[in-house]
Amino acid sequence: MTLAETQRSTDRLTYNRTIGVTAMFGRGFYYPVDIVADESGRLYVLNRSSDGDKRGVRITAMNLEEEYFGIFGEFGAGDGQFTWPNSIAMDGEGRVFITDDYLDRVTVMSSDGDFIEKWGDRGSEAGQIDGPNGIDFDAAGELLLADHRNNRIQRFGGDGDFIETFGEAGTAEGQFVMPWGVSVCSDGNVLVGDWGNDRIQKLTSDGEFIKSIGTPGRGEGELHRPSSACEDDDGYVYVADWGNHRIQVFDPDGEFVQSNRGQATVSKWAQDFLDTNKEEAAARAEANLDLNPDLFERDPNEESSHIEKYFWGPSSIKLIDGHVYVVDTVRHRIQVFDVVA
Amino acid sequence: MSTKELQLMAHLMRRASFGASRDELETLVEQGYDETVERLLDTEDPRSMDIDLIRRYHPDHMGMMGNNIGSHWMYRMISTDAPLREKVALFWHGIFATGYAKLANGKVLHDQIRMFARVGMGKFDNILLELSKDPAMIVWLDNCENHNGAINENYGRELLELFSMGVGHYSEDDIKEASRAFTGWTIGNTDYMTLKSMRDSIWPYGRLSFHFEYKPEDHDDGEKEFLGRKGNFNGDDIIDIICEQEATARFLARHMYSFFVADEPPVPEWPYKPPRDPEAIDILVKAYFDSGYSIREMLRVLFKSDFFKTEDVWFQRVKSPAELMVGVLKLTGEFPRPKEEMITTHLHTIFMGQHLMNPPSVEGWHWGTEWIDSGALVERVNFATERLGNLESPGVQSIVDKLISEDNGHTAPEDLVDGAIEQLSISNITDVTRESLIEFVERDDEVSGNGSRDARERAANALKLVAAAPEFQRA
Repeated sequence: MTLAETQRSTDRLTYNRTIGVTAMFGRGFYYPVDIVADESGRLYVLNRSSDGDKRGVRITAMNLEEEYFGIFGEFGAGDGQFTWPNSIAMDGEGRVFITDDYLDRVTVMSSDGDFIEKWGDRGSEAGQIDGPNGIDFDAAGELLLADHRNNRIQRFGGDGDFIETFGEAGTAEGQFVMPWGVSVCSDGNVLVGDWGNDRIQKLTSDGEFIKSIGTPGRGEGELHRPSSACEDDDGYVYVADWGNHRIQVFDPDGEFVQSNRGQATVSKWAQDFLDTNKEEAAARAEANLDLNPDLFERDPNEESSHIEKYFWGPSSIKLIDGHVYVVDTVRHRIQVFDVVA
Repeated sequence: MSTKELQLMAHLMRRASFGASRDELETLVEQGYDETVERLLDTEDPRSMDIDLIRRYHPDHMGMMGNNIGSHWMYRMISTDAPLREKVALFWHGIFATGYAKLANGKVLHDQIRMFARVGMGKFDNILLELSKDPAMIVWLDNCENHNGAINENYGRELLELFSMGVGHYSEDDIKEASRAFTGWTIGNTDYMTLKSMRDSIWPYGRLSFHFEYKPEDHDDGEKEFLGRKGNFNGDDIIDIICEQEATARFLARHMYSFFVADEPPVPEWPYKPPRDPEAIDILVKAYFDSGYSIREMLRVLFKSDFFKTEDVWFQRVKSPAELMVGVLKLTGEFPRPKEEMITTHLHTIFMGQHLMNPPSVEGWHWGTEWIDSGALVERVNFATERLGNLESPGVQSIVDKLISEDNGHTAPEDLVDGAIEQLSISNITDVTRESLIEFVERDDEVSGNGSRDARERAANALKLVAAAPEFQRA
C-alpha cells in the first residue's frame, strides 16, 4: 500500500474527487497553474499551456460538479491576452486578476471574460515588477503580489497603485528566494511560498515575519521548492510541495501532520473521454497504472511520470468552501480534498 | 601563450564541447591541454541550469508531452560544465537515432538522452545493454512486438547493422538468432502504452512514461547460434559476443573519428570507401580492446593523439545544426535563465535540418556536407548573424567591449575584422574571406557616414559579418 492510499486517524485531509481533463482548448485544462472561485462557487482555472502549443492558454470556467461554463482569454501580448500566465485572484467586485510572468503585468478582466485593464511596469524599483507570480487580495481589497525575480512581495491597490514592498533576496527571516504563491489567511496574515528557500513563510499583513514552516528535504515535514500554501480557520496549513510532487499538512504550531502523494481518479470529463474511446478505455482497463514507486529510484518526478494518480508539479493549493483544491499542473486536472474538522 | 596553443585549444573545444569564448580559451591554455582533456572526460557531478528553475518556467518540461523537447536539452547543452557529456549524448543520439514521430512521448525520449549522457562514456557493452532496455528504443524498433515463437527482427537487425557492426559482418540467420535472444525484453503495460503512442493520445491526464519490463514467459530460452557461437543466449549474451568482434571496434572507431575528428562519408558508403585515416582507426580499435570497450579511454586516446591535434583536421567537420546553435548561444549568453524565447530558438535546429529527438529515420541524420543545402545554409547564416549581432545579449556586449578601442574611437576596419575573427576563433579564415569582410566594413562605414556611427553598433555589425563567413560553419 502506498503512502497516498494510507488514511490515518490523525489525517486532516481526505480525498474527495478529481475534476478536469487534458484539453488543449475548450472544455478541460492544459497545464493549469491556479484556481479561484467566485461567491457562487464558480471556479476559474488558469491554464498556462505548453510553449509548443499556445492554444491552451485560457481560463476555464466550471464548478465542482464539472458543469462547464466556457473559456476566456488567449495567448498573446495584447489586451486580454497572456504569454506566461501564472496566478489568478478575484476582488470583491468579482473582477479577475491574472499575473503574467513574461509580460510583467497584471491583467484585469470581468468574470465574463471582458478585458478591463492591465498594469505593471517592468523593473526593480519599488512598484515595478519583474516576474509577477502569486497574487491574493486582503480584506481591505489590496493586492499582494509575489514579485519573484525581485525576491519580494509588493502590495498594490486594485487599480495597480503601488502601496508598499516587503522582503528582499536572502535566506533570513522575512527574506525570500524567488517567492511563488501568496495567500492571505482569514486573520489577515500572509503565507508565502518561499520557493528557493524550501519553506513557507508566515508574515503579518504588513510583512513582519511570524514563522517559517518546513525545512529543505524530501522527508515528512520537509519541502522541496514549495509553490503555494493556504490556511484554514483552525490554523492548519496546506502546502503544495511542488518539487516533491505532493501536498503536506502542518498543524497550527508548524508541526507535520500529513503527506499525500496524490489519489486522482477518473473525473467526469475524463470518463466522457473514455466512454467515447472504447478501444483506449479497454486497453487502459487492462493496464496497471498503480506501479510500485520503488521502480523509479525514489525520484518523485520519475514516479509521477509513471504513476498516474500521483501529483505532478502541483502549482497551487487553495481552500474553497471547505474543500482543498490542488492544481495538478502536469496531469492537467485538479484533485479535491475535504478538510476533516 | 602562443597563438598555436590557443588555436589547438579552440579545436579541442569545438570538438569535445560546443566551442568556447576567447576568454575561456585563454584560461584553458593556462590550465594546459592534457589537463583540459582530463577535465572534459571527468563527468562526475555535472552542473547545469537548475532543473527546478527550468520546470518552474516551463511546466511542460516535466511532462514533455510535445515534440519540442529538444529545447530542454538545449538548456543543458548551453549551460553545462560537463560539455563532453552532452556532446557524447549527441554522438549516440546520431547513431541510436530514436524519434518522436513514432513514440509521441517526449519524456521517454528525454530519458533516453539522459541515459546516453549518464553511461555514454562507459563500456560499450553496458551502453548496448542500457540501449536494449531503453523503453523508447524498445517501442521505436518494435521489440515490444518481438515474441517467443513470433519474432520481430527490427531491433535485432538494427543492433547489428546500425548500432554495432555495420553491414557485411553478420548473416540474416544471425539477425534472427539475435532477435530470438531479445524476446521478452519489452515495456510494462505494452498494449496501453503503444496504443496511446499510436493515437498520439494525451488523454485523460497527459502522457505516461514507459518502463522496461522483462517477461521471462515470453523469452525464447532455446539454443541459438550467433556469429559462430552456440548457447541458450539471452540478450546480454548477444551483446557480449557483439562487443568481442573486431568489426564492432572498427565500426565504432570510424563513427568516433567522423564525429570528433573529421567528417567521413555517410555510413552507407563505408563498405565501399576506406576511412580517411586508417591508422587513426587502428589506434582507436586498439584502445577499445585494451580498455575493455571503454568509450572514455577511446576518447582519451583520440583527444591526445597526433591525428586529432594535427592542423590537417582542424575545421574538417561541418557543424551540425545543434552544434552551431549551441555554440552561438554559449557565446551570446542570452539564456542566463529559462526564457519563453527558447522554444522559438530551438525551432531553428529544425529549420536547419536537425529536429532533435525526431530524426528522419532510424539511420539518423547524414552529417558532414549533407547538412548544407541552400535553404539550410541561409537559415544557419541568418541565425548566427542575428544572434551575434544583437547588442542586447550579454555575451555580444562582452565581445564588443573587446573589439572597440578604450576611448570608443575609430577602430580600423582590418583591426575590427581581425579582432572579430580572433573572438570567434575561426583561424581557418582565408585571405579572400578576410579581405571581403574588411571591404564590407569599409563600405558599411561609407554608407553610414564615416565616424558618425556608434562604435559599439559598428563593432557588433562587424562581428555579425564575420559570423556570416563560411569558415564559421565549420568545426
